[in-house]
Amino acid sequence: MTFLPYAHALLARQDLPIPAWLFAWGASIVLIVSFFALSIAWREPRFEGDWWRPLGVGLSRALLGPPAQIVCGALGVFLLGVTVYAGLRGTEAPDRNFALTFVFVTVWLGFPVLGAVLGDLFRPFNPWRAVGRAAGGVFTTLAGQRPTHFSYPDALGRWPAAIGLLAFVWLEIVYGPSGGVAVGLSPQTTAAAALAYSGYTLAMMALFGVERWCQRGEIFSVYFGMFASLGSFESREGRLGMRRPFSAATRWAALPGSAAVVIASIATTSYDGGQEGAFQGAVESVFDWFVGIGFGQVAADRLSSTLFMLLCFAGVWLIYLAGTRGMASVGGAPPLRKLRSGFVHTLIPIALAYLIAHYFSLFVFQEQAQFTYLLSDPLGTASTDLFGTASGGIDFRVLSANAIWYVQVGALVVGHVIGLTLAHDRATAYWGDYRQAARSQYWMLAVMVAFTCFGLYLLSAANA
Amino acid sequence: MQSNLGRVVLGIAVLVVAIVLLIVLKDDGGGDEGGSGGAVTTATEQGGSKSNSGKPDKPSKPAIPTIVVKDGKPVGGVKELTYEAGERIRFEVDSDVSDEVHIHGYDVEKEVEAGGSVVFAFPATIEGVFEAELHGSGEQIAEIRVNP
Repeated sequence: MTFLPYAHALLARQDLPIPAWLFAWGASIVLIVSFFALSIAWREPRFEGDWWRPLGVGLSRALLGPPAQIVCGALGVFLLGVTVYAGLRGTEAPDRNFALTFVFVTVWLGFPVLGAVLGDLFRPFNPWRAVGRAAGGVFTTLAGQRPTHFSYPDALGRWPAAIGLLAFVWLEIVYGPSGGVAVGLSPQTTAAAALAYSGYTLAMMALFGVERWCQRGEIFSVYFGMFASLGSFESREGRLGMRRPFSAATRWAALPGSAAVVIASIATTSYDGGQEGAFQGAVESVFDWFVGIGFGQVAADRLSSTLFMLLCFAGVWLIYLAGTRGMASVGGAPPLRKLRSGFVHTLIPIALAYLIAHYFSLFVFQEQAQFTYLLSDPLGTASTDLFGTASGGIDFRVLSANAIWYVQVGALVVGHVIGLTLAHDRATAYWGDYRQAARSQYWMLAVMVAFTCFGLYLLSAANA
Repeated sequence: MQSNLGRVVLGIAVLVVAIVLLIVLKDDGGGDEGGSGGAVTTATEQGGSKSNSGKPDKPSKPAIPTIVVKDGKPVGGVKELTYEAGERIRFEVDSDVSDEVHIHGYDVEKEVEAGGSVVFAFPATIEGVFEAELHGSGEQIAEIRVNP
């Protein structure tokens, strides 16, 4: 058994491109739905208020009490430990090692979708938050006082998380030496990165406080929290409550750097989708150029991929800025600065739609591995069969190409509609005159149509 | 004024869609004729689709697509093989190196001797795009598409 470590990509099966007719239908539906939405527009904001209503005390106590917090936190820490251990001691084959699928599929794709429905589910399981809180508790007991922290620079906002998000995806899809696959990283590198990130996060938590860093700098908390702002459940002071779906998103983007987080999300997914088709030729040309001027293959691959990922980031940002600039030209508009941060949250559903469109099939297939052989044999060395499922595998027949296409197009259309809804709602809050509000929304509509059609285009060009 | 602006935006949106559609449809046309650029040569693609159009269902048919591996690399670049779901995936690998040929997704593996050849024949039950590679070197030799 002398297989090279990268003989197996995580992704044994890639999606077929959506056919031209479905692309045309998807784009047409998007346009029709958009103009229909404008015609039935409401005049008063419906999502801006605080709609939180508490649920039963017993339920809150059971789900949010100290025992539940300890169990969830311990589970998070345990799973992080398993990931690092499997990464360091397990097989080099990425598809057989618990670490890669768990981090890049189960956690990275699972929490955004779960959170968008339910709320911030990652918070109780966040291993670094759990360790940070436990350390804080120990410190308080020993020192007889609560730990003191540096004050976090306000202007920094969520920028550390935005940059961290770019870095994480860069590690996932650019750094891995077998470019062009979903996850090219080796399990060992994944474990090393997890350890390094743990050290960095705990240090930052010690400096600035656990909750403050989770809100602003901790990549996973910020990223999953962003999607969770769409969800329906929220806890406040130990009490579980329900809120109107999407209403919390209207307050999410208050911190500086929030725009960078959501744009980084859209841009990195765009890049990943684009390098499978839409920009493949362009990336290869740039790669050839880098090789031509004397770079090695790996360096040229990373440079060209990095360049295109940053171009995606700039491109998505420019489209959004163009939209806000257009809105500013409508009479009665608030200052451009306010507009720029005021419509950031309307991109969250787009980001989620992109994520689902590009990774839905990977998630469904890879979770079969997660709950069969990766669970029973996390190291991938055939040394354990913890739950008797080690010989299980992925049945690729559970999803037909048609089913995947419809989910992809459906996700984009639904994300588009929710984005438009939030944008229109915000406009009614910003413009006193409802006619002006509606006029300003032609610009956001153009932005949304651009993103959604671009998403459809990426799907139609992937692996074409 | 308002409806004017609406019409302008509608116009722009339709234009955007039309342009994107054009790109996509153009891409499709280019792909069918063979050679969307890069490492895949036109000759290989045409060869692949030609032998594929000769109904690979008949087992006695002698002309099946052949991937020639020289110095551990596929001659003419990664070969594209396209099938419809329900057909039989049939192709041959002639190799000058000893290795194991592995079809992803289907998880079909066969050994090939140096200077020998091996024939694959199995039903196309999974839709999608799959790699065929030499397991030892990790070199991709074919891309198998199964359309619904």
